[in-house]
Amino acid sequence: MKEIEIRNLSKSFGDRKVLDHVSLTVEKGDIYGVLGLSGAGKSTLVRCINGLETFDEGEIYYRDELLCSPKKRVERLQKRKIGMIFQSFNLLQQRTVLGNVELALEIAGVKERRAKALECIEKVGLTEHINKYPSQLSGGQCQRVAIARALALEPEVLLSDEATSALDPETTNSILDLFKKLNKELGLTIIMISHQMNAIERICNKVAIIDKAVIVEQGELGDVFLNPQAEVAKQLIYSDHLHTKLNDQRLIRIIFDGNSDEPILANIIQECGILVSVVFADTKSIEGKTFGQMLIKCPLKNRELAKLRKYLTLHNVKYREEDANGVELEEEVA
Amino acid sequence: METFLTVLQMVGETLGMTIISTVIAYLLGIPLGVLLNVTAKKGLRPIRSVNLIVGIIVNILRSVPCLIVVVICMPWTRAWMGRGSGDWYTILIPLSVCAFGYVARVVEQSLNEVPAEEIEGIRSLGASDWQIITKVLIPESKSSLITGCAVTAVSIIGYTSFAYNIGAGGLIAGIYEFFTRNTGDYMGKIYFWILIIIVVVIVQIIQELGLYIAKKTDKRRKLK
Repeated sequence: MKEIEIRNLSKSFGDRKVLDHVSLTVEKGDIYGVLGLSGAGKSTLVRCINGLETFDEGEIYYRDELLCSPKKRVERLQKRKIGMIFQSFNLLQQRTVLGNVELALEIAGVKERRAKALECIEKVGLTEHINKYPSQLSGGQCQRVAIARALALEPEVLLSDEATSALDPETTNSILDLFKKLNKELGLTIIMISHQMNAIERICNKVAIIDKAVIVEQGELGDVFLNPQAEVAKQLIYSDHLHTKLNDQRLIRIIFDGNSDEPILANIIQECGILVSVVFADTKSIEGKTFGQMLIKCPLKNRELAKLRKYLTLHNVKYREEDANGVELEEEVA
Repeated sequence: METFLTVLQMVGETLGMTIISTVIAYLLGIPLGVLLNVTAKKGLRPIRSVNLIVGIIVNILRSVPCLIVVVICMPWTRAWMGRGSGDWYTILIPLSVCAFGYVARVVEQSLNEVPAEEIEGIRSLGASDWQIITKVLIPESKSSLITGCAVTAVSIIGYTSFAYNIGAGGLIAGIYEFFTRNTGDYMGKIYFWILIIIVVVIVQIIQELGLYIAKKTDKRRKLK
C-alpha cells in the first residue's frame, strides 16, 4: 500500500532550485532512507511532506489522498498522522519530559493525557525520567522524548530530519534500533533523512540518494548500496575510504552479494599463493544476509593477476576491476 | 510616631502606584508585544501593515515624555476616577500609559528568545498559531518576561516622581517636598536620607526578587 507518494515535486529558493521534479513512493511499513550531502535538498523534501515548507510544483499524497500541493496546505488533522523529529530535538526547555509529551495531546485537544503520555514515554524507555527537564537529559534521551512526543498522536508516518546527526555513534545506533522496533511493533512507516550512510544502512529497507535537487538513485537498499551508479552515490557509499595516493592504481573490487560464506580472501592467499593487500573492506548484514565490498590492490605481476581472475570466476565471486575513482576498467589481456 | 506613619503611607502609595501601573501596563503591553512579535518579518504570521502601525503607535507612546503624558491623561483620569489630581490613584493611568509601550517592546524581545526550532517542533504536531503563542512563545520565554517585568517596575518607580506635579504623593514626591520646605539645609537632615535609602531598598528588592524568580523558574540551564 502506498503510504506517501511524492509526485514531481519542485521547489526553488529564489533562483536556486533545491528540488527538481522529485518523485518518491514510500510503502506502508518502509523505513525509507534519503541520503545526500548537505545542501542537496533532502531536508527540504521531508519538510514539504508535513507542510513546514511549501513548494512550487507537484503533489504529495497520503494513502492516495492529496496531502498537499502548491494550492493546498496540509490540514492539521492530516499533520497528526505524520510525526516528525529533528536534529536539534526541538523540545520545550521549560517543560518536563512528561510535559513535553503531554503537549502533543494538549494541542490535539485530548482530555485524558497522562496515561497516553506515560505509555509513549515507556515505549522509548524513559519512564524513570518523566519529571526531568530537557537540560538534564543527554542528547539521546532528548531525542527519545521527541520520539515519544511524536508517537503520542499515534502517527502512521514518522519523518526523521537528521535525527541522529548530533549524536555519538553508540547513541545513534540505539535510536536507530528504537526506530526499527517501532517500525516492527507499531507498523510505523519511517522516512529518514541523513547524510550518514551508516545510519541508513543499519535500518532502512529502501533508499533514495539525492544530489543537487535531483534523486540520482533509488530502490531497495541492497541494490543501491551494492552497485551505486551515480558519482555522488559512490562518493557517499564509499565515502573517504579511497585515498588519493591510490591514483593510477588498478584495483579489484570483490562484491559479496549475500550468497557466499567462504573466506574468500584467505582462500585467495592459500590457493593462489598471491599476497594481496586490502585497500578497503566493508561488509554488513542487511536483512540477515552478508553484503559488502572489498577493494584489493591488483597484483603487479600479470601471471598473478590472471590466476586471481581465474580463481574468482571459478568460485562465482562477483568482481570488477577499476581505478581509484571507481571507474570500471576493461580487463587487459596479460 | 506621626513621622513614621507618614513614611509608611508614602511607601504604601509608591508601592501601590508601581504595582498597579505595572499590572495595567502588562495587561495592555503583552497583547501588543505578542502582536509585534507575531506579525514581524520572521514571526509566526508576518503582516507588514499591522506590524508597522502597532510599531509606530508604540514608538510614539514611548517618545512622549512622561510629564506630558501625565498632563494629557488628566481629563480622562477625572472622567473615570472622579478627580484628576491630588490622590495617589490619579497617577495610575498616566504611569500605565507611559509604561505599556515600553512593555510591548520588552515582551516582543523576550518572545524573540524562543528558538525557531522549538516553534517548528510544535508546528509539526499540527498546532495552530494561537496554540503556539499560548503554549510555546509565552511559557518558554517566561523567565525573560519576569526579568523584563522587574525592570519595568523599577522604571515605573522612577516615573512616580511625576506624582509630585499632580499632588499624588508617594515617596519620591515626599522627598522633593521635604527639599522645597528645607531648601537651606536639607542635605544635613537625616529624614531626607532615610527616605532616599527606602527608595533604594525598594528598587533593590524588586530587582533582586525579579531576578530570583526568573532564575528559579528557568529550566533552560543545567540544574546541577
